[in-house]
Amino acid sequence: MQISRRIFLRASAGAAGAGLVLGSAPWTPRLAAAEAPLVCAVAPQPIPHTNATPFGTIIHVFGPGPVEGIDPNTGHDPSLITDFSGIIAQADLNLSGTGTDLSTGESAPYEFHADIRFMKGLFVAADGQIHQGAFAFL
Amino acid sequence: MGLHSYDPGISPTLVVWTIPIPEESAQIDLGAGTAALHVSNICSLFDAFTVPNSLTPTHPLGNIVSAVFDSLDLQWSGVTRSIRGFGDPVNQFSGDFFETAATMEVTATTLESTGHGFRFVSAATTQVNFAQIGRETNGVFF
Repeated sequence: MQISRRIFLRASAGAAGAGLVLGSAPWTPRLAAAEAPLVCAVAPQPIPHTNATPFGTIIHVFGPGPVEGIDPNTGHDPSLITDFSGIIAQADLNLSGTGTDLSTGESAPYEFHADIRFMKGLFVAADGQIHQGAFAFL
Repeated sequence: MGLHSYDPGISPTLVVWTIPIPEESAQIDLGAGTAALHVSNICSLFDAFTVPNSLTPTHPLGNIVSAVFDSLDLQWSGVTRSIRGFGDPVNQFSGDFFETAATMEVTATTLESTGHGFRFVSAATTQVNFAQIGRETNGVFF
């Protein structure tokens, strides 16, 4: 048995690479050096890159891969949020394990595919202000 | 038990599958080539059963249901490739990046109250398809 997760990122790369990549010019606020970052939970903004999935949804993400880019939708910027300055980590992994039906107690071997990332640092949020925070792509 | 696929949904600002976490949950030592992510009780999560069902607005397999990452521990180490001073003017990002190995342990639960109660407990990382850590700037900071 298999837990399906993130598989579409590879499956959709061809479609998006065919010319469905959209973009928008980044907004450029004036960043005063003396401005202290705000510390609170606010909404970050997505990277401009878009990826048209086969499911009728357009999402702002590059698939996992080297920053030089394997194709237009794979690799490149590992961050999910734009106007960002900080540290990142990403891992595209396969795991083995056990799945259990909580109603019956039945268990079986399961496989799990995961693309997990984090971003931590400064970002310009939807409110136009610089904030500090950490985010996980799960 | 069938298929299960976990994600936190897409934010009102259209950021994909991304949620805020405590800053102390994410640590990097670029000098040592290591990083760690430790989070627990991530309850702003859904089981959509499959990725297509999550991303298809009509959810053909049924509505997504509540789920939890009880714990998630990810470790990066062992730099295999360094890319310093990289810049991509097309995609407006730059930084220093270090490809690594990684291992992960996770326990994920689809809540029993949803009628789809399920728990996955990982045993081993069987394959690293890609992993990297780094520092970067993008957008207005590029």
